[in-house]
Amino acid sequence: MNLPAQHTVSHAGAASKPQRDPHGLTAGNKRARLMDRLFKNYFLFSILALCLVLAMVVFFIGRTAILTFGEVSLAEFFFSLNWTPEEDQFGAALFIINTLSLTALTMVIAVPISVGMAILMAEISPNWLKKIIRPLLDLLVGIPSIVYGYLGLTVLLPFLRELSGEGLGDGLLAAALVLTIMILPTISRISDDAISAVPKKYRDASYALGSTRLQTIFKAVLPAAGRGIVAAIILGMTRAIGETMAVVMVIGNTPQLAKSLFAPASVLTSNIVMQISNVEFESTWNYSLHMMAFLLLLISFALILLIRYVGRKREV
Amino acid sequence: MNWLKKLSLVAVASAVLLSTTISGSAWAKDDLKGKITVNGSTALLPLTLQAAKEFQKLHPKVKIAASGKGSVTGPQAVKKGIAQIGACDWDASTDVPGFKAFDGQVANKVAVIPFATIVNKSVSVDNLTTEQLKGIFAGKITNWKEVGGDDEDIVVITRSFGSGTRVNYQAKALGGGDIVKKEKNYKEVGSSGDMKTAVATTPNAIGYIDLTYISGKDIKAVKHNGVEASVENVINGKYKIWSYGYYMTKGQPTGATKAFIEYVQSKKFQEGSLKKLKFIPISAMK
Repeated sequence: MNLPAQHTVSHAGAASKPQRDPHGLTAGNKRARLMDRLFKNYFLFSILALCLVLAMVVFFIGRTAILTFGEVSLAEFFFSLNWTPEEDQFGAALFIINTLSLTALTMVIAVPISVGMAILMAEISPNWLKKIIRPLLDLLVGIPSIVYGYLGLTVLLPFLRELSGEGLGDGLLAAALVLTIMILPTISRISDDAISAVPKKYRDASYALGSTRLQTIFKAVLPAAGRGIVAAIILGMTRAIGETMAVVMVIGNTPQLAKSLFAPASVLTSNIVMQISNVEFESTWNYSLHMMAFLLLLISFALILLIRYVGRKREV
Repeated sequence: MNWLKKLSLVAVASAVLLSTTISGSAWAKDDLKGKITVNGSTALLPLTLQAAKEFQKLHPKVKIAASGKGSVTGPQAVKKGIAQIGACDWDASTDVPGFKAFDGQVANKVAVIPFATIVNKSVSVDNLTTEQLKGIFAGKITNWKEVGGDDEDIVVITRSFGSGTRVNYQAKALGGGDIVKKEKNYKEVGSSGDMKTAVATTPNAIGYIDLTYISGKDIKAVKHNGVEASVENVINGKYKIWSYGYYMTKGQPTGATKAFIEYVQSKKFQEGSLKKLKFIPISAMK
């Protein structure tokens, strides 16, 4: 709401400047044009530099990653569950499966809660409550992940230990709970914006047909905001998949398939960060860690493309 | 646009000022000069940093850059020519479990690093034999009552494979025994700091760490074969879980690198700063 207002003000300020100074009108115009060109080139350069960095990330990670398959077969890397680098076993399937199940578990817990919060904020709560919750969620988005991880380690794990009777408490469930708290504000704030953007006439029409508030929300507002909410969920998912520090602290970091919620496990991100500093530069082990990073890169690219696709459809 | 001009003037002025201070600071009379890069073990990093600080005071023309990662990155960096010195928790010129020897490298002893078995404060056991430790870390002994403690599951905390601490602990405390991963009550951590936190916050946990890290009420060191983990027992030969910390070099060190290693090995540094950092001087060992 604030942004467009500020925009018009600054525009008006810029436009009124030459009028106030009639003597330097042409000179001012020239200078303005020069500045325009300068800034255009500056922005162009920034974008190109960024593209270059992106291309280099893909190139360098990919170049090292591809060396993996000189010594490990595609089938072993993607389908074997045995990750024992010290005995030349490089099966990354367990990390891929763990990453997928951790993300799925996180989304199952996080989506209902965060969409519920978004509905509450956009449709139900009185204005004064909105004014408290929204800034609060914005604050939560900015908290560094290591802080969440530390809270998970010192507060969540002892609690889970009590609850389950396990000795350790580390595992998929602990990681999923920490991730849920991390991505909850992201999903709910963006969904909130999507729901708020639904035109009032939809609701009016729904009420005019005799719907209750619940019916209006679920039959009219949510379907209309659907694509925005899906985009929010995918964005949250990207964050969950790529999250490293918070996960490392509570997942147990043991390269094995998670057979229960409390079994110590390891995902792509946590395994990379745990092992990368202890491997030799020119070893299959190092290459395969790069391959895992490359996989993460591909997954996040795919998800971002999906967001673009979903977002574009909404505009039509 | 006046502020823009002012801003750029300030920026240029400060840049000029900064560059003169940097180039002006390197004044010296002695002729020892060069650049030494030290890479590798985080365990040895505090020692390297302290030594570099003192050494640069004596020889201002020598620039020393030190950084810490895993132990194996030390000899690796030396091999690649990135660093002159690779700090490593084991003798990288010989084979150790998981890592092959680095040919053509010379291991220079610089310190003695003692390690200890630690347990959470909830554990009542205060002595473990090599056989018992082997059983615990291999996953054969899973309850504290089997080694004379309470009827509680043992939670094993270990460093991830490749850690210098793990290499040494396996060799010295477990008699070369394996550390086997388990479905439950098993966790891997990435650094000595994480190890301390994990053992301190997990009831019934057992782990291992550099002796210098042990402090506070939440963790306690366990005796090994009846011998207490202490600096005195390492020096008098009763306590076996320790290793030398090494500076790996490509061939015999020369020039500034040689001078720096000699400084670290000198009596002045070994008996002074090194002892203050809770390492043990190499001369103390026979």
